[in-house]
Amino acid sequence: MENEEKQMTGEESLKIITEMINKTKTNIRQSSFHLLFWGWLIFFCSLSEYLLFKFTDFASPWYVWYFTIPGVIVSLVYGFVKGRKETAWTYATMLYVWTWIGFMFAALVLFIIEWKSMESIAPLILTLAALPTLLSGCILKFRPLIIGAASFWILALVAHFGGPGIAPLAVPAAMLTGYLIPGYMLKRKNSHDAV
Amino acid sequence: MMQFKELDPLLHSQLRLAVMSLLMSVEEAEFSFLQEKTQATSGNLSIQITKLKDGGYISVVKKFRKNYPLTLCKITPLGKQRFTEYVKALKEYLNPEK
Repeated sequence: MENEEKQMTGEESLKIITEMINKTKTNIRQSSFHLLFWGWLIFFCSLSEYLLFKFTDFASPWYVWYFTIPGVIVSLVYGFVKGRKETAWTYATMLYVWTWIGFMFAALVLFIIEWKSMESIAPLILTLAALPTLLSGCILKFRPLIIGAASFWILALVAHFGGPGIAPLAVPAAMLTGYLIPGYMLKRKNSHDAV
Repeated sequence: MMQFKELDPLLHSQLRLAVMSLLMSVEEAEFSFLQEKTQATSGNLSIQITKLKDGGYISVVKKFRKNYPLTLCKITPLGKQRFTEYVKALKEYLNPEK
């Protein structure tokens, strides 16, 4: 771009402003990684817990949830490394990142509160997880995430009222509808946009 | 075509206006980001950034990351105010009857 001190017309000024603002449109490149990583991790943890409970004599099937601890570390390290490579932080990106960090702390508090009654935590976590998912969908203007958030709320009701036969499957189902399907769609969209 | 006379001269330049438009949308931006988006040369961009900084429209922080110099630019409250006034004046010019 040149910087001649010549007078610009109103149309030229407006064109520059519009063009530059469009260039800062939110592109949270790492968003699909976190959706897919957590989608698969929670999917396998919840399904494993269900299968261990249903088909084995293992006394504490909920032990599988300990896999989420290294998951948090992986997610934080990945986010930090990728974040350092960003050359600009838009307000939307900041909102996106802090929404998920806020969710992480809220989930941690919920785990501490519900430590002794873990069987009832799934509907609460799903209800809570729907909020950052919904906000992410709005920030990225990505409808599958908004639909995914709605599915979390529906499946939270299933997890609470579904009974022992159906309720444990609500979480893996929510991971499919809320994280994995939107995550793969977002990944495909990002790679397509990058071409 | 009608020319502007009353608009802020510091903003009424292609590259400076482009830089300010970018900085309005971000918390802060690296020099390389501004260069990539504006497609300006390093020298030209540096000169215009210095002018905006001297006018108090942006703040510039220079630091190092992994032994490489890193220049971070951020719009100031004065810069935001001037940009808003500029856009308002532009709207009035484009739609004088409103």
